[in-house]
Amino acid sequence: MICQFCRKNSATIHFTNVEGNDVVKIHICRSCAEAKGFDYLKRSNFEKTDLLAGLVNSALMEKSGPRRKCSHCGRTYAAFSKSAGLGCSKCYDSFGEDIAKVLKRIHGNARHLGKSPRRYCTEKVNARRRIRALEDELSISVELENYERAAVLRDEIADLKKGMEKH
Amino acid sequence: MKQKQLHMLLKNPASWLTEGGEESELVLATRLRLARNIDGRTFTNCAEASELASVRDEVRDALALAPSMKGSIFLDMNDTAEPERMILAERRLVSQDMVRKFNNRGLAVVRSEKLSVMVNEEDHLRLQSFESGLALSAAFESVSRLDDELDGSLEFAFSDHFGYLTACATNVGTGLRVSVMVHLPGLVQNGDIRQVSDGLKHVRLSVRGGYGEGGEAAGNFFQISNSITLGLSESDTVKNMDSHIRKVLEFEKKARETLLKEARSLLEDKIWRAYGLLRNARMLDSREAMGLLSAVRLGVGLGIVTDTGLSDLNEMLIMIQPMHLQMLYEKVMGPDDRDRSRADYIRSRLKAS
Repeated sequence: MICQFCRKNSATIHFTNVEGNDVVKIHICRSCAEAKGFDYLKRSNFEKTDLLAGLVNSALMEKSGPRRKCSHCGRTYAAFSKSAGLGCSKCYDSFGEDIAKVLKRIHGNARHLGKSPRRYCTEKVNARRRIRALEDELSISVELENYERAAVLRDEIADLKKGMEKH
Repeated sequence: MKQKQLHMLLKNPASWLTEGGEESELVLATRLRLARNIDGRTFTNCAEASELASVRDEVRDALALAPSMKGSIFLDMNDTAEPERMILAERRLVSQDMVRKFNNRGLAVVRSEKLSVMVNEEDHLRLQSFESGLALSAAFESVSRLDDELDGSLEFAFSDHFGYLTACATNVGTGLRVSVMVHLPGLVQNGDIRQVSDGLKHVRLSVRGGYGEGGEAAGNFFQISNSITLGLSESDTVKNMDSHIRKVLEFEKKARETLLKEARSLLEDKIWRAYGLLRNARMLDSREAMGLLSAVRLGVGLGIVTDTGLSDLNEMLIMIQPMHLQMLYEKVMGPDDRDRSRADYIRSRLKAS
């Protein structure tokens, strides 16, 4: 397997990081790992989590490309990642996935709950929002091993989804 | 005409500071802000002057149609001189940022100053509502009503996933920032303030100094605000904050009771000394004045001082700021002059010699 950073050397270090539903795989050669400042090979007691966090971040940068730009306003991804500042509302489309990750870090959750402009208040959107709220509650119920509540929620979600298909 | 309206506005104290309201012994004011942007337009910090001007005009036209803004004035910051912008900032109507970056910015504000809209600040619109005392629901209702009135004449940037889209990712979602200005001399005195502020951090609320530079808490005034805008609805944000703040107020009340019980003479001495200083001093810098007013405010809250009231003290806290003093005495003043005028003003308010 080739190192995904230099795309020349063969990768000798492999990581898989699972964060929620996101799986990030990292394949990196020794010289790239060192170049990125991960000189853990020389240190005896390195923090594996720090290393992973650093690698995941740089993998994200590589994947999305620091040179990527918003097609509407020209804001670069690099500028966004420095300040969390965006150029225009379309930036949220251009950098969608990456923004979701950053937002998750800032807010602990990456989905909007609450008001919306009138043009968004259609029946379908409201149902979708309700499903989302129920799904969140469902996962909490499962975590708390409250299976009775979970079963009720599961049925309610199924009903709502069926209702949406009819529309 | 505009100038006259502005001066009328600034001559009177903002009613949100002097109306009292719930828990007014401990809470000065509640402020809510909603961040909104117009769909498809470049955010303020990246926009060309011509785009900013057209956003400003579009927003101004929409505001003119909103029933909540009836009788409001719209100030074009290009025509508003720097001292006036600084006064507006001291009254919390515009941000410090807007004092410096004023081109094609604007402010719409109703006479009571309870409702206002900053135009082309970091976001195209920052809807703000102020209320006296602890009044989160009332403040939310009025700002949300204005939001509803503008929705339609303006197309707000929104995504199903992220909610209201803002120039900074830290505000995305509801775009709602709730700030409550509290007076916590008891918790500062007994040292519990740090623990309380750490506790608030755990529930994603931040605590900063209410007045003064660099987050320093002059006069034991603190601003508590929410840090989370995504994944929590407006009503839950308001509800959670209300209950957390009431808990803080309970701690403060207990701290005050303990102080009264265990150190009554010391406390009374401190309060009366502060009162004596305010009534007699000939020079007062901002920091000292704030500290003394804070002590007297505590005295009023505890029923020890009865010659002055909370709303007078709240008004003084605004009026002793540098630009307000210069407006009051109608001249440009250096620091020494200001300290003299500050002492003069406070003496006159406390009906001293």
